[in-house]
Amino acid sequence: MPDFSLTPEQESLRDLARKFARTEMAPHAAECDRASRFPEEIYRKAFDLGLLNLNLPTEYGGSGLGLFDQCLIVEELAYGCGGMTTTVIAHCLALAPILLDGSPEQKERFLKPIGAEYRLAAFALTEPSGGSDPGSMRTLARRDGDGYVLSGEKCFISNAPQASLFVVFANTDPSQRHKGVTAFVVPRSANGVTVGPDDEKMGHRASSTAAIRFDDVRVPASDRLGPEGGGFSLAMRTLDHTRTPIGALATGIAQAALDHAASYSLKRETFGKPISEHQAIQIKLANMAQAVQAARLLTWRAAWLIDRGQKGTLESSIAKCFASDAAFAVADEAIQTFGGYGYMREYPVEKLLRDAKLTQIYEGANEIQRIVIARELLRGYG
Amino acid sequence: MEIVVCVKPVPDAETRLRTAADGSTLDIEAVKFVLTGYDESAVEQALLLKEANPGSKVHVVSAGPPPRTEEVLRASLALGCDLATWVEMPPGVAPDPVSAARALARAVAAVPHELVLCGKNAGDDEAGVVAGALAELLGVPDYSAVLDLRWDAAASRLRFQRSTEAGVEKWEAPLPCVVALQQAWNDPRTAKLPAILKSRRLPIAKVPPEAAIPATGTTRPTKFELPPPRTGAKLIEFKTPEEAAQKLVKVLKEDAKVFP
Amino acid sequence: MTGPTLVVGELHDGALSDATKEAVSVAQSVSGKENVVGFLAGSSPRGPAAGFGRCGVARALVAEDPRLDGVAGAVVAHLVASAADSLGAELVLVGGSTFGRDLIARLGIRWNAAVATGVTSLTRTGASFEVRRPVFGGRATETRQLEGAHAAVALRPHASAAPPDSPGEVALTPVPLDGVPASFWAAKRLSVEVVSRGAGPSLTDASIIVSGGRGVRAAENFRLIDELAASLGGAVGASRAVTDAGWRPESYQVGQTGKQVSPQLYVAVGISGAVQHLMGMISSRVIVAINSDSTAPIFKVADYGIVGDLFQVVPALTQEVKRARGQ
Repeated sequence: MPDFSLTPEQESLRDLARKFARTEMAPHAAECDRASRFPEEIYRKAFDLGLLNLNLPTEYGGSGLGLFDQCLIVEELAYGCGGMTTTVIAHCLALAPILLDGSPEQKERFLKPIGAEYRLAAFALTEPSGGSDPGSMRTLARRDGDGYVLSGEKCFISNAPQASLFVVFANTDPSQRHKGVTAFVVPRSANGVTVGPDDEKMGHRASSTAAIRFDDVRVPASDRLGPEGGGFSLAMRTLDHTRTPIGALATGIAQAALDHAASYSLKRETFGKPISEHQAIQIKLANMAQAVQAARLLTWRAAWLIDRGQKGTLESSIAKCFASDAAFAVADEAIQTFGGYGYMREYPVEKLLRDAKLTQIYEGANEIQRIVIARELLRGYG
Repeated sequence: MEIVVCVKPVPDAETRLRTAADGSTLDIEAVKFVLTGYDESAVEQALLLKEANPGSKVHVVSAGPPPRTEEVLRASLALGCDLATWVEMPPGVAPDPVSAARALARAVAAVPHELVLCGKNAGDDEAGVVAGALAELLGVPDYSAVLDLRWDAAASRLRFQRSTEAGVEKWEAPLPCVVALQQAWNDPRTAKLPAILKSRRLPIAKVPPEAAIPATGTTRPTKFELPPPRTGAKLIEFKTPEEAAQKLVKVLKEDAKVFP
Repeated sequence: MTGPTLVVGELHDGALSDATKEAVSVAQSVSGKENVVGFLAGSSPRGPAAGFGRCGVARALVAEDPRLDGVAGAVVAHLVASAADSLGAELVLVGGSTFGRDLIARLGIRWNAAVATGVTSLTRTGASFEVRRPVFGGRATETRQLEGAHAAVALRPHASAAPPDSPGEVALTPVPLDGVPASFWAAKRLSVEVVSRGAGPSLTDASIIVSGGRGVRAAENFRLIDELAASLGGAVGASRAVTDAGWRPESYQVGQTGKQVSPQLYVAVGISGAVQHLMGMISSRVIVAINSDSTAPIFKVADYGIVGDLFQVVPALTQEVKRARGQ
C-alpha cells in the first residue's frame, strides 16, 4: 500500500528545517530582500546544523540525504525564504556532478573540504547566448599538454560571488556540438577566473548571482569530471536529480502564500465581517490549497521514484513545472486576497510572487520542462 | 558527574486549544509534542555541565505515553544526552504531577544520579511540582528557579543563582540534589541533522510504570474553559488622570487579575 | 470531622507577605475563621507572626532557629508536614511564590496530599476540594478535583484580596526542629541581590508589555512608555509607526511584520490599532488601550479603554502602579 505519512525520523528532519526557517531565516527575509544582502551568517549556521550539504554523503561530512528527505527540508527552508534556499540548492546542484562522475580521488579532494568547513560551490552551465541549449556552448576547453585551457563566459551563476569552486561545462570539440561538452572542476583561485558584479534580481535577492569569465584558465586533466564529451550527459543526469527540489522550493513558497492569505482573511474585515466569510475569498483559498497539495504530492512522488532508483525524468519535470506554476499562481492570489496591502512592500506576499517567478525559469525553464514531459509522454504511445 | 535530566513532552506553544463539547477535556488540534521551554534549559544546562566536567554522563528520563515521550527522549539524545530511560505509560494516560514524580523517581533511583535537573514547570499544566516531589522521593534537597549552575570541583559544591521574589539569590550546595531550572541564561542549542539521524538508532531503556497508583493524594482535571471572544473595551470613566489610573489599576487587580 | 487549615507564612521585608495574607483570606472562607492556623519559620518568627493575629488568625505555630533564614525549602516542608500531621489538618495553604510552590510539591509526597499550584479559586466539594487554575500560559483555565484526605494548595498571586487589617492577637506555639534530614541543612544562601528591572524582560517572554505608538509623538516622549513598563515589571514594545520613525529600533516592533506576542497584559498607548499591529498582539490575555481618539480600532479589541491624553494619563498611571506595588 502506498503510504503518505512521514517516518518519525523524517518528521524530526522536517522539524529541524522548519525551526531553522522560521527562527533564523524568516526574520531576516524581508531585510535581505530589500537590501539584496547575502546573509552569510545564516548559511554558516545552516552548514553547522547540516542543512547545507544535503546531498553530500556522510563519508565526506555531509548529511547524505536521499532526494525525498532533501525535498522535505527544501520545502521548509523555502517557506522561510525562497532566496536563501536558492543558495542551498545551487550549492547542492554543484556537488551533484562531482558525486555522479567524480573519481574516488576527485571526490576526496573536492568534497572533503566542502564537508569540513563552510564553503560554497557553484554550477556553471548557462551562457549569455542561452541557458537551455548546451549544443551551442561557446566556452571552450582547448587541450594543452597535460591539461586544458578554458576560455569563455558563464552567466546567471548562483553562488558565483562566494563560491570557492565551480563546476564548469565547456566544449572540448565544438564540431561535435553537445557531444563535445566536458565538465571541469575549477577553483575560484585559478588564474584567469573573474567573477562579475552581483546581478540585480527581481527576487531571490538573498542569494547572489553573477557572471564568470574564464580567460585562458589552465585546468589540469586530473580536474576533468568524466570523459571528454561526457559533460552533456552529466549535466542532464545532474538536472534529473536536482529538478525535483525546485518543486519542493516552489511548494514552500506556495504554502507560505496560502498561510499568509488564510490568516489575513480571518482577521481582515470588510462589510462588517471577516473577508474569510465572503465566498469570493473562500474560492480563492480553496483553489490555492488544491494547488499547494498537488504540488507537494507530485514533488514527493518524483523524489520517491528517484530514491527507488528510477530515472524519474517525466515525474520530476512534471513536479518542477507544476509546482512552480502553482507557486506563482498562489502568490498572485495571495496578493489579491490582501488587496492593496498585498501590493505593499511592508507585507510579505509581494516578495513571494517575485520569488515564485524564478522557479518557473531556472533549472530548465517551464517551456523546456513541457517539451521534456511531452517527449517522455509520447514515448509511451509510440 | 552523573547527571539525570527529567523531561516532559508538552504540546507545541503554537498548538490551537479547543475544548471538547462538554468541556471535560481539551482537544488539542494537530498536536505536536516538544520539550517544554524550561526542560530545554535543563537539558542545555546538563550538557554544559558535562562539557565543563570531563567524564560526566547525562541520562535523560521521561514518563508518559507513546509516541510523544519517545520523541522528546530522542530529541534529547540528538542534543547530546548519553542515555535515555522511558517510563512507558499506556496510550492516553496523562499522570498528574505527583504521580509523574513517583514514576520518574523509580527510574531515577535505578540509575546513577548525583545531580537531577528538571525544568521549572511544564508549559501545559504549569504545576511546577515534579522537581520537589521527586526530590522528596529521592530523599535529597531541591533548589528551584535556578538560572545557572556551576560545579566547583575544588570545594565539591554546586554554585548557582536563583531568581525568586526576593531578587537574585546566590547559593552553594553539595550533591546529591534536584535542581529545577528557570528559563535559563543559557541559549539552548539546536540538534544538528546528523545527530538527529543518529539519535533514531540509539537505544532507549524502557521501564514499566508502577502498577498501583496511590488511592489518595491524586488530582484530576474535570473541566477546561477557554477565554471568551473579545467584545470591545470597557471604557473607564474619569474626571482626572489620577482617577483614571486608580480605576484602571483596580480593575486590572480585581477583575482581570493581571496586575503584577 | 474536618481538620484545621494550616496557612504557611512567608516574609517580605520582615513582615508577612501579601501572598500570605491572601492565603489566610482563602483559608478563612473555605474552613471558617476559627479553623485557620498560621505557620511561620525563621530566625525570629515571633514578631512577624503577630501579623496573623491582625488577619484574624488566633493561633500560629512557629519554628525558630537562626539557620532557618535562607534554608532549602525542603527543611520547611518537613516542618510543615509534621505540624500538619500533629494538628490533624486537612488543608495546607500557601501564597503563590517560589517558596510556596516548592513547599506544596514536597507535601504531595511527605504528607500524601493532593496538590495544586497557581490556584485562582478553591472550593469545597463534599469531603474534598476543587480548584480552578490557568494552564497553557493562561490560554485556558482548568478545574481540577483534589482527591484524598489531605490537600496542599499554592495560590496564584493577587487572585484574592487580603483580609482587612484589624487588631487581633495570635497565640504562638513553638514547633520542634527534629526529623529534618541533616543533608537538607547543607546548602547555603550566600547573598540576595535585589535586581532592578531596568532592562526588563524580553518582548516575547514578557508577561506584561507596554507598547507605544504614533501618539507618543517623539522619541524623547517614549520614556513615558519605558517608565510605565518598568513600574509594571514588563517589556517595552512599539508599533510600526514608531520603528519607522526611528524612535525605537525594529526589534521593538509588535505586529504582523514584527514580533507576535501574547502576554497576560498588553497596554497599547497611543496606538490606533491598524490590522498589522493587531495581528501581533490580539492573543494577549488582557488588552488595555489608552488613546485620545475614541474611534480608534484598538478599542474594539481592548478589554479596558481609557479615552484620554496619554501625556496626562500615563504618568498618573505609572505613579499609581508604583504606589499599588509598594515601589
